[in-house]
Amino acid sequence: MEPEGDRLHVVTTENISDARRNFGNILVYGSAAIMFLVAGLQSLDSNNILDIGFVTWRPTLYAALVWMVCLSAGQVIVRGEQGKRTLFILPAALFVGAMVVFPLIFALGIAFSDWNLSSPNGRQFNGFDNVRQMWNDPFYWNSLTNMVWYTLAIFVEYIIAFGIAVLLNAEIRARKFFRVSFLLPLMLSPVAVSWMIGKSMLEVRFGPIARLARELGWDSPSFFGSPEIARASIMMMDAWTFIPFMMIMILAGLQAIPTELREAARVDGAGPWRAFWEVTFPLMLPVSITAVLIRIIFKLKLADIIINVTSGGPGGATDSVTSFIFREYRDRSNVGYGTLLAIFYLVLIVIAMTILMKLADRWMRPRY
Amino acid sequence: MRIEHYEIMRSRMSRRGMLKGAASVGAVTALGGLGAGLTARPAMAQDSALRAEILKIPGVGMGSPTDADWQKVGDLCLGPTKETVAEGEFEGVELTFMGLNNQNVHNFLFRGFLKPWEKYTGAKINWIDLAQADYNARLQQSIATGTVDFDIIEMGAPFEGDVLGKGLASEMPDWVKDLIDMDDYVGYLQAPVGTWDGKTYRVSIDGDCHSFAYRTDYFGEGSLTGKDVPATWQEVDAVTKELIGQKDPLTGLDAHGYLDPLKGWGGFGFYFVANRAAPYVKVEGDPVWLFDPETMTPLVNTPGWVQAFQDVFDLIEANAYPADQINADPGTTAFQQFLAGTGSMLMWWGDVGASARTSDTSVVGDVTGFSINPASDKRYDLASGAWVDGVNEAPQMAYIGWGVYVMARVDGDEKKHKAAWSAAAHLGGRDIALWMSAYPSGFQPYRNSQFQYDEWEQAGYDRAFIEDYLGSNIDSYNHPNAAIEPRIPGIFQYYSVAEDELAKGYAGQYGSAQETADAIAAAWEKITDQIGRDSQIALYKASLGM
Repeated sequence: MEPEGDRLHVVTTENISDARRNFGNILVYGSAAIMFLVAGLQSLDSNNILDIGFVTWRPTLYAALVWMVCLSAGQVIVRGEQGKRTLFILPAALFVGAMVVFPLIFALGIAFSDWNLSSPNGRQFNGFDNVRQMWNDPFYWNSLTNMVWYTLAIFVEYIIAFGIAVLLNAEIRARKFFRVSFLLPLMLSPVAVSWMIGKSMLEVRFGPIARLARELGWDSPSFFGSPEIARASIMMMDAWTFIPFMMIMILAGLQAIPTELREAARVDGAGPWRAFWEVTFPLMLPVSITAVLIRIIFKLKLADIIINVTSGGPGGATDSVTSFIFREYRDRSNVGYGTLLAIFYLVLIVIAMTILMKLADRWMRPRY
Repeated sequence: MRIEHYEIMRSRMSRRGMLKGAASVGAVTALGGLGAGLTARPAMAQDSALRAEILKIPGVGMGSPTDADWQKVGDLCLGPTKETVAEGEFEGVELTFMGLNNQNVHNFLFRGFLKPWEKYTGAKINWIDLAQADYNARLQQSIATGTVDFDIIEMGAPFEGDVLGKGLASEMPDWVKDLIDMDDYVGYLQAPVGTWDGKTYRVSIDGDCHSFAYRTDYFGEGSLTGKDVPATWQEVDAVTKELIGQKDPLTGLDAHGYLDPLKGWGGFGFYFVANRAAPYVKVEGDPVWLFDPETMTPLVNTPGWVQAFQDVFDLIEANAYPADQINADPGTTAFQQFLAGTGSMLMWWGDVGASARTSDTSVVGDVTGFSINPASDKRYDLASGAWVDGVNEAPQMAYIGWGVYVMARVDGDEKKHKAAWSAAAHLGGRDIALWMSAYPSGFQPYRNSQFQYDEWEQAGYDRAFIEDYLGSNIDSYNHPNAAIEPRIPGIFQYYSVAEDELAKGYAGQYGSAQETADAIAAAWEKITDQIGRDSQIALYKASLGM
């Protein structure tokens, strides 16, 4: 028996009989055929072309599960030891397909449908009507514009996070205490932050921050009254929650920088600023960009604080795409249009993140 | 009774008062019939004794009722069931009941009430408990995906369009109508509410309306303004403007007049501007005030509605509201502003009155009075297209109230059908209703027989307070020009989108109140088209009993 494959992972070839191979193929293709047959019959039944009497789609689900099991078993039966290798990844791939890809395709179908849950007609395919509606929907474009502002705020958050990380990396007293303290906001649910800060501390009459503002001479403090201040207030609450996240990543990066490098810079006569700018910062670029990218992903999902504190107001000034979709979907049961908005947003995010990651890839290489 | 109301009653009960009450109940029981009310069906000694007896469970001021108490009440109120169902008649029947689990009442209470019913009839009930926030989504999804998996549902009347309009509910049999004594319902809960195309579906268990709450230290002799309590929206707005720059007598901070919630609240915020609009547009004898039933054309951009929006715009312009009012939803106006001493006038459901005296953060407990929705001194007449002078009152029955409905899926099985309706009738019975209004249940009174103050007094309640609490409700409930919302599919979608457009209007993004109203109307037209104009027209007419 000739060993094959690389030397580290030797897999012997097996003598797989034709009968076994045929059985395996029949198992895989047969179960696939059954799955397609059941799905086809269910489709005909649900479109009232045939009356078979299916009540739910469970038969198709069960047929699909059987096919998945047969497909996995078939790999081993047909290809022996080689098939076992496939089994390391195949179930996971099938799971992702079933739980991510299939729903996404299904969502696409819904996105191009007119589906208001209150409509007696149910779901109706309506082509690009939802896209046209989106194109002319000032609420959606307003929320997208707001997202640009919210995302830009990340750079300010990054600077603050970097500053705190540098401080916490220094030899200061009670360093561990401060590290934990600064992490606390991240442990809070944004919903709790909305109520604790947005609804209580920023409450214009009793809130301690409003009282302080009055003490400082602001007669009638208002944190959500004007569009700009409201947006800034939301940004600050969100920043307060998530700056610790960037800070902890940057701090981990700072601690990974060998002290020799900084010492060498000092020996070479670099001052603190020069050492930071020429040594620390470039070395921190990969970590920084990763932190910012992950933060952007978090930021694009911003909704809970807005829903709880402003409901998108005043006049849509704080609306995020997610909070708008939430209203469209939950309050107005507009499933088709809401799904299209979400899918379009997903496409935008995928494109934007791909571009950002390409650029980041270039930036991430240190300057020497 | 709403939990908050109960707490307030309890806090006002002294031991002596309770004993006095218990003694009175005993006396009433002995005399028989004394407690029966003016509007109740002919009182019989047996009825009166039963009512007095259930009011003693667990006894006013004796702590919150438990499951054992609910079961006792359920058992004592089984009389009507025993009249119509033989013991063990529903053996083998299983029913599923979907309802809320708010504040540990609603379904929790129903479970206790129905346990003796289950024991007697032999039926078994399975429960689906939902949080309020999940309720709408669960119901809509069940309907849209054809997966109605419950036989009985606790549901608010605004959803009748979605459920009754789609033929998903079972028509009430005549024997149930007799059992639950529907003539005893307060005015606005009489048909067409609960009916569809002339058929009756709803067993009422609750009533809802918005009442006007005001500060007695702002109005009346020796008060801050020295004026009478505003009776019209024109007076409300005028005094609101006059209060600018004055100081609140309780807190020493800025005084404010009426508190309009300017932020959306999942559709519920629209009720509040509708309070202003109703007296401008609603005319006695005509139930129409939001849509033209012939075309579903929104009336929201007609002059009456626009005037209501304009009134709010004027107050924003005059800077009459507290700071950040643009970010105040109805919850904020009631619980963070009015009860905390900000503002002097408010429209809300019954909770505010009770919370005024029981909430730790309330400072207005002793200076709050109640009335019905302010009137208007003019009304826009849609028929003639002109303003008509004269005072017009139109209290709004915001949300209409909870009811119990039986689903059509039981119709195919005679035994199950009878069982489901028997269970619904048990919960909607006249005597059980009295207990529900006297103890924490999550429900407001909805029957005229629940407003017999003697019964309450005899049970040990403080007469003056109970008259104050119940009086503000009954005046609205039985008003001949009560404004009742359209029970059409997706009604909260209309409200929700209106909130979004109003928010833009309030933030100055539209040129005028008319422009804002036109934007709402356009959005409503879009929803109507999406849901289906013809079906909406048909359902709207059916809901109006036309």
